[in-house]
Amino acid sequence: MIQNDPGTSPPALRTDQLGRRYGRVWGLRDCTLEVPAGAITGLVGPNGAGKTTLLEMIIGLLQPTEGQLAVFGETSHAPMAARLARVGYVAQDHPLYRDFTVADMFHLGRAMNPSWDQELAQARMGALDIPLKRKVKALSGGQRAQVSLTMALAKRAPLLVLDEPVSSLDPVARLEFMREVMAAAADTGLTVLIASHVVSELERLCDWLIVLTGGHVQLAGPTDDLIAAHRILTVPRATPDAELPGLIIHRTDSDRHSTVLVRADPARLAARQHPGWQADPVGFEQLVMAYLQRPSKTARDDTAQAAARPGPATKAVTR
Amino acid sequence: MIWVSWRQHRSQAIACLGLLAALAVYAIVVGTSMRTAFGQDDGLVTCLARSQGNGCPDAIHAFTDRFGSEVNVAFWSVLLILPGLIGVLVGGPLIARELEFGTWRLAWSQTVSRARWLTVKLGLVTGGLIVLGAAMTAVITWYRAPMDRLTGRFLPNIYDFEGLVLTAYILCAFGFAVLAGLLLRRSIPAMVAAFIPWLAIRLVVEFVLRPHFQAPLTFHQVCPQNGSCFGGYGLGILPPVTGHIGDWVLGQAAGPAGVNSYLYQPADRFWTFQSIEAGIFVALTATALGATIWLLHRRAA
Repeated sequence: MIQNDPGTSPPALRTDQLGRRYGRVWGLRDCTLEVPAGAITGLVGPNGAGKTTLLEMIIGLLQPTEGQLAVFGETSHAPMAARLARVGYVAQDHPLYRDFTVADMFHLGRAMNPSWDQELAQARMGALDIPLKRKVKALSGGQRAQVSLTMALAKRAPLLVLDEPVSSLDPVARLEFMREVMAAAADTGLTVLIASHVVSELERLCDWLIVLTGGHVQLAGPTDDLIAAHRILTVPRATPDAELPGLIIHRTDSDRHSTVLVRADPARLAARQHPGWQADPVGFEQLVMAYLQRPSKTARDDTAQAAARPGPATKAVTR
Repeated sequence: MIWVSWRQHRSQAIACLGLLAALAVYAIVVGTSMRTAFGQDDGLVTCLARSQGNGCPDAIHAFTDRFGSEVNVAFWSVLLILPGLIGVLVGGPLIARELEFGTWRLAWSQTVSRARWLTVKLGLVTGGLIVLGAAMTAVITWYRAPMDRLTGRFLPNIYDFEGLVLTAYILCAFGFAVLAGLLLRRSIPAMVAAFIPWLAIRLVVEFVLRPHFQAPLTFHQVCPQNGSCFGGYGLGILPPVTGHIGDWVLGQAAGPAGVNSYLYQPADRFWTFQSIEAGIFVALTATALGATIWLLHRRAA
C-alpha cells in the first residue's frame, strides 16, 4: 500500500508492483517506479511494450489488475474526478471532435474542467496563429497537435502526459510541438511524461528515463545517473562474460574485439579496469537502444542473475 | 456536460425536428381535409351519435374507403420501422463514435468521470427522444381523430402509433444501439445489430404477446333461425361484430350450435394494454442502458 508521508510533498508518480492483465496476457507487470515533481521523463519502448497501458493507468482510463499507483499522492482508489484533475493528457494521434471549431473544443474544456484556463488557451492560439472559428477538420496535423496540447495545458493539471505526441507530425511540426511543451514546462514547473519510440526526440529533453520492453521496466532513473552507471567496454573477443565487471546489458562480437555495454557502480568499474580494455562513456541513444535490443527480462531476473554471480570483490582477477 | 451533450447531438436534434415538421405538414394537409369531410358528413355524424356506429356500416365504409388508403398504407409501412430507425441512428454513435475515432481518450480524460459523462448524456438524449415520441404521437393522434371515431384505437396499425408505445419503441431501439455501440465499437454495425432484435421483439410482442396481455372476452352472436349469419371478423370489418366501435376482435371460438362465438379485447382496455406494452419496452431499455453504464464503469474500475 502506498503511504504518503505527510511531511513531504508526494512524488509526481509512484507505482508499486503495478500490473495490468488483458485476459491471460499481461500488458504490464511488476512496474515499480518513482518520478519526482518537475521531472521531464521519457518513457521509451517498442510498440506493444506496455507504454500506453502504463499511461492509461496513470490517467485513470484503465484500472490496475494488481499493485499500487499514485499521482501526486492520489491513488487509483480515489474518486475518478480527483484523479482526472491531476493529469493533462495528449493522446496518440491527437483526437479532437472533427466537426467542432477550436472555440467549441475550448468550450468543452471549460465545461468539463473546473480549473480550466480560458485565457491561456486563447493566448496560445493567438500566438500560434490558429483561428478559433476554424473547424478541427480544417486544421493541419501540426495545428491539431497544438490544439490538443493546449487543451491539456489549459486544464492546469500538475502532470502532463503525452503519448507518442510527435510520431504523426512532420519534422518542423515536431520541433515546434516539443518547443511548446518545454516552454510550458519551464514556465509552470509542470511534470511531463512523454512516451515515444522516437529515441532521438527525447535525448535533448529528458532528465528522467524509463525503458519498457515486453511489459517490464528495464531501466528507470535520472538520465545522468543512468549514463554514469554504464560503460562501453572494448575487450578482446576471447574475454568470457564472467570476467567482465557488473551486469552485461549488450554484447557485440566483431573479428578481434567485443563491444560490451555493462552496468555497474563507477567505482567498481575503475577497480576492475584491465590494461587491455578500453572503457568509454555511453551516449543516451546508445544506452536506450541497448536496452531495447535486450531480450525482455524482469527486474527480478536481473537481481537473480547478479546474486548468482560471484561479486567482483570476492573473485580474484586471474591475469 | 449539458452543453457538451447538446453540441454533440445538435445535428441529430435538428434532423429529428425536421422529421417531426414533415410529419406535421403531412398530417395537417391530409388531416384537415379529412376533418372537413367528417364534419360535413351529416349522415355519418348523426348515425354515430344515435347508434354507436352499429346501424351505419355503409356510411362508415364510404368514409374509410375514401381516406383509409392514406391512413393505413403510408403509416403502417413507414411508421412500423421509423421508431426503430430513429432509436438506432441516435443511439448507435453515442459511444461507438467516440471509440471509432479515438475521442474517448479525450472525452474521458477531462475532469468528469466517465460514469457521469455517460449518465448526463443518456439522460439528456433520452429526454429528447421522449419529447420527440410524445410529439409524434400527438400529431398522429390529432390527425387520425376522425378516423379513430369509426375504427377505434385498438387495431394494430392504429394502436402502435397512439398512446404510449411509440415513444417506448424509440427508447428501446435507442437503448439497444447504445449497448451495441459499446460492445461492437463501430457505429454502423451497432445500428444494424440493434435494429434486428428490436424489430424481432416488436413483431413478437405485437402478434404473439399483445392479444394475451389480458384474457380475451367472448362474444356470442345468435344467428337468425333461417337466415345466414354474418360470420366474418377481421381488421377490415367495421363496425366489429361485437357492435361496439373500438373492440378488437381476435378470432372465432368454439361455441354452441347456431351461435357464432368470438374472442375479443374490449375497447376500454386500450390504456391498460398500452401501459403493459410500453412497460415491456421501457424495461428492455432500462436493462440495455443499465448494462452499458455497468460495463463502461467496469472497464475503468
